[in-house]
Amino acid sequence: MKRFSIDSRRALYAFAAAVSLFVIGELVHPGFLGLASVESILVIASFVGLVAAGQCFVILIGGIDLSVPWVLNAAAIVLTTTSLGRNAGAPEALAAALGMGALVGAANGIGVAWFGIPAVVMTLAMNGIIEGLTLGLSGGFTCGACSSYAPPLIQGLAHDAFLGVPDALWLWLVVTVLVSGALGLTRFGRATYALGNNPRAAVLAGINVGRLTVALYAASGFFAALTGVMLVGFGGQASLGMGDPYLFTSIAAVVIGGVNILGGRGNYLGVAAGAVSLTVLVSVLLALNVPDYVRSIAYGVVILVLLLAYGRDQN
Amino acid sequence: MPPDNSASLPRGGRLNHAIAQNIGLILAGAILLLAVFGFILIYGIAQQRLPGNFELTSTVNSATPLVFAAVGQSFVILTKGIDLSVGGVVDLANAMAAVTMGKSLGSALAWSVVILLVGAGCGLINGLLVGLGRLQPIVVTLATLSIFQGVAIRVLPQPGGAIPAGYTNLLVNPGAPYALIFIGLLALGWFALRRSRIGVDLYAIGNDEAAARAVGINVLRTKILAYMIDGTLAAAAGLFLAASATAGDATSGNSYTLSSIVAVVLGGVSLFGGRGSAIGAIAGAFITTLIVDILFFSHVNPLYQSFYEGAFLLFAVVAGRVIGGAIGRRR
Amino acid sequence: MTPPPAIAARSVSKSFGGVKALIKASIAVAPGSVHALVGENGAGKSTLIKILGGRIAPDEGTVQIGGIEAGGGGVAMARRHGIGTVFQELTLLPFMTVAENLTLGREPRNRLGLIDRAGLPLIAERQLADLGITHIDPRALAGDISLAERQIVEIARVILARPDIMLLDEPTSALVEREVAWLFGQIRRLRAGGTAIVFTSHRWGEITTIADEITIFRNGTDVGTFTTIDEDAAITLMTGRQLDAVFPVRAVPPVRAPILALRGARAEGVEPFDLAIHPGEILGIGGLAGHGHRAVFFGLFGAPRFMEGRIEIDGKATTIATPRDAIRARIALVPEDRKSEGLFLPLSVGANITLPILRRLSRLGLIQPGPERGLIDATIARLAIRTPDAAQPVGALSGGNQQKVLLGRWLQTKPRVLLLYDVTRGVDIATKHEIYDLISRLAGEGYAILFYSSDAEELAHLCHRVRIMRRGRFVAELAADELTAEAIVAAAMRESSAAAPHAA
Repeated sequence: MKRFSIDSRRALYAFAAAVSLFVIGELVHPGFLGLASVESILVIASFVGLVAAGQCFVILIGGIDLSVPWVLNAAAIVLTTTSLGRNAGAPEALAAALGMGALVGAANGIGVAWFGIPAVVMTLAMNGIIEGLTLGLSGGFTCGACSSYAPPLIQGLAHDAFLGVPDALWLWLVVTVLVSGALGLTRFGRATYALGNNPRAAVLAGINVGRLTVALYAASGFFAALTGVMLVGFGGQASLGMGDPYLFTSIAAVVIGGVNILGGRGNYLGVAAGAVSLTVLVSVLLALNVPDYVRSIAYGVVILVLLLAYGRDQN
Repeated sequence: MPPDNSASLPRGGRLNHAIAQNIGLILAGAILLLAVFGFILIYGIAQQRLPGNFELTSTVNSATPLVFAAVGQSFVILTKGIDLSVGGVVDLANAMAAVTMGKSLGSALAWSVVILLVGAGCGLINGLLVGLGRLQPIVVTLATLSIFQGVAIRVLPQPGGAIPAGYTNLLVNPGAPYALIFIGLLALGWFALRRSRIGVDLYAIGNDEAAARAVGINVLRTKILAYMIDGTLAAAAGLFLAASATAGDATSGNSYTLSSIVAVVLGGVSLFGGRGSAIGAIAGAFITTLIVDILFFSHVNPLYQSFYEGAFLLFAVVAGRVIGGAIGRRR
Repeated sequence: MTPPPAIAARSVSKSFGGVKALIKASIAVAPGSVHALVGENGAGKSTLIKILGGRIAPDEGTVQIGGIEAGGGGVAMARRHGIGTVFQELTLLPFMTVAENLTLGREPRNRLGLIDRAGLPLIAERQLADLGITHIDPRALAGDISLAERQIVEIARVILARPDIMLLDEPTSALVEREVAWLFGQIRRLRAGGTAIVFTSHRWGEITTIADEITIFRNGTDVGTFTTIDEDAAITLMTGRQLDAVFPVRAVPPVRAPILALRGARAEGVEPFDLAIHPGEILGIGGLAGHGHRAVFFGLFGAPRFMEGRIEIDGKATTIATPRDAIRARIALVPEDRKSEGLFLPLSVGANITLPILRRLSRLGLIQPGPERGLIDATIARLAIRTPDAAQPVGALSGGNQQKVLLGRWLQTKPRVLLLYDVTRGVDIATKHEIYDLISRLAGEGYAILFYSSDAEELAHLCHRVRIMRRGRFVAELAADELTAEAIVAAAMRESSAAAPHAA
């Protein structure tokens, strides 16, 4: 196994964890590994995977994006209220939602790179700002347009299948290829890893750190918005607080996937596996029909176990 | 050795140094003063009179839980860590208080000690995972948050329970700001701790953990202690919260995770560790509370509350950096 | 019967990953003596000191203190045995004051048992003065004082603890002559008092001045202990081979128009100055550390840019506001601190080499693996970088090879001006020679080289001319016959109002 770098090994462990959890699921709830069940779990995992892609980008440079909950939520609401549930309005609404996400992300990046505001503070403040704006502008979500549905096109994207595989999974596949490719094969990816490893040396090596940081945070905002779009397509209508569970889940997926929280190491394949692991875990716990609180405790314990197994700081 | 030829910084005046090294605290104090001023102003305009004992008392009482949570958080942040499970410990303490305290002040006090120990235990778990397990704090406490929240819900599945009136009067007396005494004791405790072995070691670890290890500091023990103190103070916050609400709720503590971090940042404690004072965190907690009050009394559309809080946080941090930078350049 | 050595290592071995840092190394230090360790980088000296100082535990072998085997217990236990160590990487805490750092672990307490924080600066000031140090402000933050001052504070901290055994790993690397004299005075005092002292240095002059015994290390083990030894013989033992004349023959560059000219450039702590470098020339910048050279070098690279001034390249005005501008202007900077300013340790050797020139190797953002590979292989060959393969994380290479990777990276950017800032610091003798040869060759090929070194001998022998800085001003220029190490040092220290060094 020495040929595999640490990063690849961690991604492999994340996959192993996902598979093991599937097997455990089958053991406690026969039928768990049935096609329909696996498919629906993977679709839900894809939503986590989308957010985690953005989170992965910023964590790789030692940052974090705490604005995910409300960028996601705002994007969902922008989509429904702009399109008013009609396909005619869909392109415009999509552009508005995704563009908003990217712009908010870029603002985060500017705060971090130009004003030197720690990522925790910048994105946390931004989350509040977006929350306030969303609640305020929608009158506490009581506006006329607020109960609109997502355009049928988007709902279809979340529910339909192509060649037997759900569209949502095709989307995730495309994202996975693009993100992994970007990180592993491009100048942008090398620069990202360099910046995450040694910011000072990155500047001295001629990397445009400011521009790169803004781009990475913009990407995070974009993916959070994309997730909001997919989620509202999946659920039909937007709701308040729909983004909240995705903050800690996206961070957990990234870390379980072998990305070092301090930056500089890890890849998206591991993160995707991490997203699957977490979703399977939740599904297994649901299938076990345990009370809420047991699920909460088990969730935390399993994450700790996985981390202790292979997520240690290689100081 | 005669004065060497290396160009070092000119010998600064003592005041210069004192300012530069405590800049975070000074800025926090300034913001606090502005917030107090702002509050008095807005209140005066809205209510046509100056805030009195009642307003002071209710501000102090509503700030106190956050004060304790923020000071706890600052211990961990000083070591370059972070504790996302604060909200979970507050929940747990709150839930336990509602269920166990019974009718008498005596039993309430006895159980308070137990609950504080439980908080210390939660901190111990975090500390061991971070220190021995060598896991990153953000990730560990994210997981333990889930665990502590779960236990809290198990203890108190629905809001309810009861806190004896005597307990409420002791902790968050509605008649006068006696809670300030507890905050004063907390400040005193910090003062002493800062001048102890563990206080110095805490700062050293936050400055440069490898260097601290190299000079023989027991990093493991210090980190565990930091997380345990954090857990205990978070539990105390839960107790104050329960006393305020006179009943329990296993989820009302959740917001304390992020607001304790905000308070610490406003208090001038650096998220990168090794710099800042818990006194700043106390100021930060009051600033946060006052901002909410100011927004309330200025009749700002409550839906926009988060917006203003977020904008304020950004503004305070940027202003702090700009001013701190300007002072740094003038030295 | 002779008394047992104050401290000794017996057949100590230590590996890191697959790398054998120490292989059955032994050393014995008598009380009241100074024992020097010499050897190339990577020979194991620092590892041995870390083991003696309790910072790491050996895989095999034992450490004996006063003849008795010492167990584990880390640095704290070593302290209790009376061992004080100054490691190569300084351990001062940057956001704590000099006073706090100095008294760390031995803070004065008041009646309540609490640390007397208010009194710390005065106590520190007194303690420093007792050691003859009066120019370091105890209230300053350790991160704000110069590297030399930090090294002195770290040494002072150890001396104040009154160690029975003092271990110093490269204690003089940032110090100038005067400060080294002070240190040696302290060492002599401690030696007279019975302290056993171990220290490492790459400066042969220092070693012969102070050491009672010299142990030479090569490839992880001791190869000989001597009371006196001649430098060439020592080098032969250290490297296992004969080394010819230290410096390459200096060619006279043809006279050409300057490739880079600065007019009225001003930087933090540096007064406005003019400077011109010509192709094929090695222009040296000399002077004591901290006098502004760094600002000159980094200003030329835009990191940060000069506050004022005009930069002309080939006669045309050019703006250099960021390193990217500098790279585009075909300027390259090799900084002294390769770990924090140069390399990305977990990334591969190849990635480290190609990072600044990826644009050339990419199409539409995608890196072309073939061309990249070719470039990496060529660089490794050209500089004789010793690495099992290009995918190896650069952190696993020895110091000298890491420096070569950094040089390789910058040479690939096809610079015309090469800024070399103390590039031989902490590099072993053999690699230093390779670097001297490289610099000489590059000058011959037409590169314009700006060279800073804290070693006046290097400046005198490598450079065509040297301009000396003192307190932010260029005060002298030496060339041809006037260019000697002594002249450089004299020019750097001129105008000094100090008395003779007071080696106590």
